[in-house]
Amino acid sequence: MIETIENGIQLVTTGICTAVALRKGILLQSRAWIMLTLASGVFFLGDLYWELFLILYGKTPEYSYIPYLSWYAAYLFLLLLLYDLRDKNDERHRSRILWIIPVFTVGMCIFYLQWGDWVGNIISALLMCLLIWNAGEGLLSIRAQKADHPETKCKKVWIYILVLLFCLEEYGAWTASCFWTDVTLMNPYSWFDIMLSAMFLLFPAALGKAVDG
Amino acid sequence: MNYIENIFVCLAAPLLIALICTQGKGKRMMIFLLSGMAACLLSSYISTFIAAAQGVELLTASLEISPLVEETMKLFPILFYLLIFEPHKRDIADSCLMTAIGFATFENVCYLLQNGADRILYLLIRGFGTGAMHVVCAFIMAAGILRLWDRVWLRAAGTLALLAVAITYHGVYNILVSQTGTLALIGYLIPLFTTVITLIFRKAVFGKDVVKEKAPF
Repeated sequence: MIETIENGIQLVTTGICTAVALRKGILLQSRAWIMLTLASGVFFLGDLYWELFLILYGKTPEYSYIPYLSWYAAYLFLLLLLYDLRDKNDERHRSRILWIIPVFTVGMCIFYLQWGDWVGNIISALLMCLLIWNAGEGLLSIRAQKADHPETKCKKVWIYILVLLFCLEEYGAWTASCFWTDVTLMNPYSWFDIMLSAMFLLFPAALGKAVDG
Repeated sequence: MNYIENIFVCLAAPLLIALICTQGKGKRMMIFLLSGMAACLLSSYISTFIAAAQGVELLTASLEISPLVEETMKLFPILFYLLIFEPHKRDIADSCLMTAIGFATFENVCYLLQNGADRILYLLIRGFGTGAMHVVCAFIMAAGILRLWDRVWLRAAGTLALLAVAITYHGVYNILVSQTGTLALIGYLIPLFTTVITLIFRKAVFGKDVVKEKAPF
């Protein structure tokens, strides 16, 4: 029951995000907005597939390739969104601190391999690593620009922070599901899942700030 | 027992003759129609093989394996065309559409042979629903390939992600139409609704250089 409600909440938030981003994408003919539409839209479809399976068959899919594929696609669209946000004359700030990210994602991947499948874990780790790397690099670049030119406006800072939080919540949910298997509100997985759902309501505002000024 | 390869031969024979007789754009469209049918035939073989290898029931296979196999197979003729011939944008959209229509036509014929053709109203809804679903999936791929990315590696990653969108959309459709009554009807109507919406916004989706300002007829 709790899982159905959680999925329902996520369906609503991803649906709202998709509708808002689609409207903006069509009105402004902006690729960044279309990327957000596709990211939240494919997440919505994956959730819908999962939810329909739960409601109509009373169980989760036996082979969950389709919903997982849709969630990986959502990460990929978010990554493409971050690439799209890069200015051509943007100087990317590379720092050694960024190398913590692959160490973290590979470490977590090895940890999750105790429960999950090889292919899925490796794809997740790769996409998460690229997402966190890009968002982290973006934040470091903004900080460097701000140090050089204090009058610079940091329009993209919120979208980078949101992407980082999104990844953090995904990791939180995955880690919680390794230790807590009961489907109750006391399970931290539910908290992370609800926070993840809330992220989709914040993405349009953050992207609007980054793109529309 | 459905001998789908025999059905394929029957349907493909007149199209092959038409292929010899037609030229230019008509010929290309015919090739993609045939490719769509061939993709459907191969998808059926592959889905059946995977289901047998995994020991899965027919329903589970149609809900969880078929969308994955069908959408991937449908993409191959388009990918081949894109990579080898580097066509004009407008031709890409048409070829995606014709492949999807070929696929849906062959699938509908197989369904008719397996389940009979006595319920005209249901078959009308199903025919339009399945056709529209395959067309929507083709729209998703075509719109992405045409509009979204300029750099090759971005387009490759994006196409993969769009394939996932098409697969999930197809999966949701299959779950709904596997039910009876209102849920199945909703399942059939969703692609029709999506097609109408896409047609209304087709200039925004495909770009002005792909959609002609005036209809050719």
